Amino acid sequence: MCSTAKKKGNCIEYTDSGLPKTAIRFEVNGDNFEKKVDPTMTLLQLLNNELKLFGTKEGCGEGECGACSIIMNGKAVNSCLVLAAEADGASILTVEGLGQGNKLSILQQEFIKYDALQCGFCTPGMLMSARSLLDRDKDPNDDEIKEAIEGNFCRCTGYIPIIDAIRSAAKREREELK
Amino acid sequence: MSEKKLNHIGKGYDRKEAQEKVTGQAVYVHDMEVPGMLYAKVLISPYAHAEIVSIDCSEAKRLKGVKAVVTGKEACQRVGLYMVDKNIMAGEKVRYQGEIVSAVVAETEAIAEEAVTLIKVEYKPLPIIDSLDEALKGKNLVHEKLHTYEHMKGVFFPQKDSNIASWNRTKKGDIKKGFEEADFIFEEEYTLPAVAHVPMETHVAIAQADPYSDKVKVWSSAQSPFAVRQLLAKSLGIAKGDVNVIVPYVGGGFGGKAGVHLEPLVSVLSRAVHGRPVKLKMTREEEFNTLPTRAEMRARFKTGMTKEGKITAMEVYHDWDSGAYADYGVNVGKTAVYSGAGPYAVPNIELHSRTIYTNKVFSTAYRGFGHLETHWAVERHMDMMAQKLKIDPYDLRMKNLLRPGDTTISGELVYPTTGDPVACLDAVSKELGWKGRKSEEERKQEMRTGKVRGKGFAMLHKAPAMPSYTSTAAIMQMDEDGHVKVMLGAVDFGQGANTIMAQVAAEELRLPIKDVEVVWNVETDKHPYDWNTVASKHAFMGGNAVRKAAGSMIQQMKEVAGQVLRCHPDELTHGDGYIYHIHQTHRRLSYVDLSMGYAYENGNGIGGPLIAHGIYMASGLTNPDPETGQGRPGLVWTFGAHGVDLEVDVETGEVNILRVVSAFDIGKVINKKLVDGQVFGGIVQGVGSALIEGYKFDEDRKLLNPYFGDNRIPSSKDIPDEVKAIYIEEPKTAQVDGPYGARGIGEHPMISMPSAIGNALYEALGINFHKLPFTPENVALAIDKHLRNDV
Amino acid sequence: MLSKFEYVKPETLEEAVGFLGSHPETKILAGGTDLMVLLRRNLLITDHILDIKGIQDLDRLEYKRGEGLYIGATVRVNEIAENSMIQKKYRALHQAAGALASHQLRNRATLVGNICNASPGADLSSPLLVFNAKVHVQGPEGKRELKIEDFFTGVKKNALEKGEIVTGILLPEVNDGDTSYFKKQSRVKGHDLATVGISIRRTAEKETLVGMAAIAPTPIRLRELEKKLKNRDFNEETAEWLKVEIKHHLKPISDVRASKEYRFLASGALGKKIMMAMIEEGVK
Repeated sequence: MCSTAKKKGNCIEYTDSGLPKTAIRFEVNGDNFEKKVDPTMTLLQLLNNELKLFGTKEGCGEGECGACSIIMNGKAVNSCLVLAAEADGASILTVEGLGQGNKLSILQQEFIKYDALQCGFCTPGMLMSARSLLDRDKDPNDDEIKEAIEGNFCRCTGYIPIIDAIRSAAKREREELK
Repeated sequence: MSEKKLNHIGKGYDRKEAQEKVTGQAVYVHDMEVPGMLYAKVLISPYAHAEIVSIDCSEAKRLKGVKAVVTGKEACQRVGLYMVDKNIMAGEKVRYQGEIVSAVVAETEAIAEEAVTLIKVEYKPLPIIDSLDEALKGKNLVHEKLHTYEHMKGVFFPQKDSNIASWNRTKKGDIKKGFEEADFIFEEEYTLPAVAHVPMETHVAIAQADPYSDKVKVWSSAQSPFAVRQLLAKSLGIAKGDVNVIVPYVGGGFGGKAGVHLEPLVSVLSRAVHGRPVKLKMTREEEFNTLPTRAEMRARFKTGMTKEGKITAMEVYHDWDSGAYADYGVNVGKTAVYSGAGPYAVPNIELHSRTIYTNKVFSTAYRGFGHLETHWAVERHMDMMAQKLKIDPYDLRMKNLLRPGDTTISGELVYPTTGDPVACLDAVSKELGWKGRKSEEERKQEMRTGKVRGKGFAMLHKAPAMPSYTSTAAIMQMDEDGHVKVMLGAVDFGQGANTIMAQVAAEELRLPIKDVEVVWNVETDKHPYDWNTVASKHAFMGGNAVRKAAGSMIQQMKEVAGQVLRCHPDELTHGDGYIYHIHQTHRRLSYVDLSMGYAYENGNGIGGPLIAHGIYMASGLTNPDPETGQGRPGLVWTFGAHGVDLEVDVETGEVNILRVVSAFDIGKVINKKLVDGQVFGGIVQGVGSALIEGYKFDEDRKLLNPYFGDNRIPSSKDIPDEVKAIYIEEPKTAQVDGPYGARGIGEHPMISMPSAIGNALYEALGINFHKLPFTPENVALAIDKHLRNDV
Repeated sequence: MLSKFEYVKPETLEEAVGFLGSHPETKILAGGTDLMVLLRRNLLITDHILDIKGIQDLDRLEYKRGEGLYIGATVRVNEIAENSMIQKKYRALHQAAGALASHQLRNRATLVGNICNASPGADLSSPLLVFNAKVHVQGPEGKRELKIEDFFTGVKKNALEKGEIVTGILLPEVNDGDTSYFKKQSRVKGHDLATVGISIRRTAEKETLVGMAAIAPTPIRLRELEKKLKNRDFNEETAEWLKVEIKHHLKPISDVRASKEYRFLASGALGKKIMMAMIEEGVK
């Protein structure tokens, strides 16, 4: 009927457990991919296991902690709750895509400067939520910053340096990126 | 304490590994794949206490892709060092809901997960020991064979035919006499629930056990690779040298990764699949349900006070619900013996600290190592006694705080350079604007507005809890460019240890900070020994070791340079990348020219590669006397105080922390950014224990909240509106035997946050809380009860 | 996740309904924020997942003067939270949407998904109740419409028959002078489920509607309370009265999240706070 594998006229591949794989085309950090995936695979698993992009982390697998946050079609989402199949046609940004060439982005620089990280495990997801905020709002106040990262748990920093870093990054982006 | 100018100490450098972490390049065991790796999943017990009658793995074994199914029969080795009470996997019975009963190794996680559901276990439920009191009755036992367990004799005291894993005591002076001298005797009880560490990276380990020898290689998200090596070797009955433990980046520890957890299990699993590497990653649910927590605890204080407010005697019972196992739990219990009555001069005391078994998830080290729990109780107790004595709580504490010349409850003498709790309380009281208690009238008036304010404060102190002969070491190597690599056995899991040590090395060697690196990925085969990365002791101990190593490297350079420059090495000094004569400064040689030995013009070579080491052994510590707990267990004391200003919505019970001011006698701030990080992080984690966290069990002791959904931690919206940290760096009270006067700070900011908040809640509401957490529900119900009683 | 499912993404509603007819155990995927958790915990096992995000018109979020607000099945909660017209006319819905979970979850979760999941504490349920929302359903027998009150039939149970799918929700028009407010009590200040949730709406004709979540097996309208509020002015005295009275209209339970005693207290507290907030805005 409407399984995407058939639609595209490709030959159908099957998983080891006998499920027809879903064909997807998507872009991550500017690179284009075509894959046939197990329909039960999540976007997080696609990034980690298929694309070997390990920056995005699994903290809980249930959308509570935000460690797996990425930006999909311009929106910050928890990749553990998205099926890889749903990434068909999507444009995805992960922590690996934040820098420009061999230069860290302003956001990453400010995270370092304000020590907005300790163990670093929540950091990729935190950066993506911050990136999403600054894409939507160039001058967020502290309450808006807290709202944007509310879904990103950090056990190490107490959030204070993270808020400082994002505030500072917002200011620098306003001044330096025209 | 010399006042010479410091180049690197005190600078707020960026942490060394920040770039790896903000780019997603840092590799954690969670991310790791090793060639040939298989995946494991575990089956956990649904019962809190039950005999395992049978386990049928046949169907699970037949599933395509399954390589092995292991049960307690195959994984029957004991694990532990202090109280060896635990098997790698449950054997004859399970002792907590969540205990691992079986494990599957398969080609993929998905196959392993499916296979686990095919394992059939028959249980025979046993009576559940569901509380401290039930456990103390001793009618049913968690560990029937407690008296046969290997344990550290003279240090831990298991009570035969009981549920008491250890009964440790402090006895100082004569409490009978002390209570007779008292004008008042106050008795109170305080409790707090178990909470989880919640590192963002769950526990995970990969083991590769060589099938042809005893060798085992383990990658683990762990705080203490040498402890893992030691315990794993003991468990499997192999030599320590046959175990190699590798720790890459670690996504948080907080004490939960301080001991040994998954490593013995994955080693056994690897053996079961003929040595292929096996990875076991805990789900978040397993992290809550299966892995250990901070102990639940009940403290009972009986304190004699003169009417002027001097403590004359104390009788204390700290009862720790350590759950099903107590290898680490007994340590926490023992530690309470030397600090469990707060930073006060207590002339007569009997303190009992009992580590007790019940049927729930077991306890382990947790940031603060029992001090948050004991100080929750004692600082609330001090406040309540102040209320009853009608003495200002600031004054009451000032009358009793430890001062130079006093002894601690374990008889340890306090020196000026032990630290200054008085200065901490003073600083906090001033910054908080403490002007004395509210009157009941003021409170009632404010209540009518629906929102009430309150200020409160609490003291804290802690020294490391560790064996009296704990040591650490550092190795330094210079490369041909004159850059230095430092190798340590301690793990930087985000607290900033490696950056601090690099600063110390750079300071001593007088090199730019960018030319000194601490080597990541601690590996027990390569790195020098460190006991455990715990106890807030690494800045002190590791710092001392690194300074010695640097001194040794400089001496090596001077000895070769002295030959070349034809002078005695004592005439040489160092700096700017050179060894040079102290007077005729042009007579010099660069570090680069000395790094691989020195080559004369004619070709002769002298010296060799510059490799130095330094060690530090905890100095002057003694084992506490088994009967009286007297001795010198505390290597370095850090004193501190928290002040809290909060507001309560009296209708919903929501507590809003407006301001936290905290003071620590830290001696010397080596890197303010990193120290601030420990302070903010510890305070917020303390807020979690105070306002949010707590395990909940049903009547069968099944964990009701093993998901983030119902087991929350502070988010960005749950933090205080403002936090101010005050660091006391007074040379007269700094840690003179430490690096630049510095003391530890990692755990301390979390300690006494709940008590400070509890004391502020009394000010706000006129209600004394004896339990944690102060959730909106608990506060609202207490207010409602209080108002109805008043009417 | 033990489920081994096929993933299908139809392009039309007919295809979807047809597929659901021939594969009745199929689970519908919109935002996935509830479904994925259930699948991961193996509380649900399924062989088919049908993604409705490819179906035209289900993503329609449209207000038409005189008709009201139409929210299609795949409209995300953040679209609702960020919509200024909704903030103006259907404020309780705006507030509830903004209070649901976290930013990342709101970018995925759908309003229709929230009510189909039918948790007793569903954040978006109480606003829909006070706005007398209509649920549009399509199934093998054709289209039908249900009142939102009839949609919730039990704990995590909704009134959909086999093969049916909710295509959207319509909130009837509200006139000028109509105001509403939503409040939610949680265990923390950060993102959390509701311990109790309450929406109060005061129409231009001074009718009061009260909807609540997390205090009964389903989200409910407190019709008896509404009757008592019918002739009362909104003032401080009424607010205090409401704080105590509301408890008589609830049947909360004690669970891992909260005790029933606290649910009584919190409901009273929030009811009073909402009324006071409205009074401050000039509502009489």
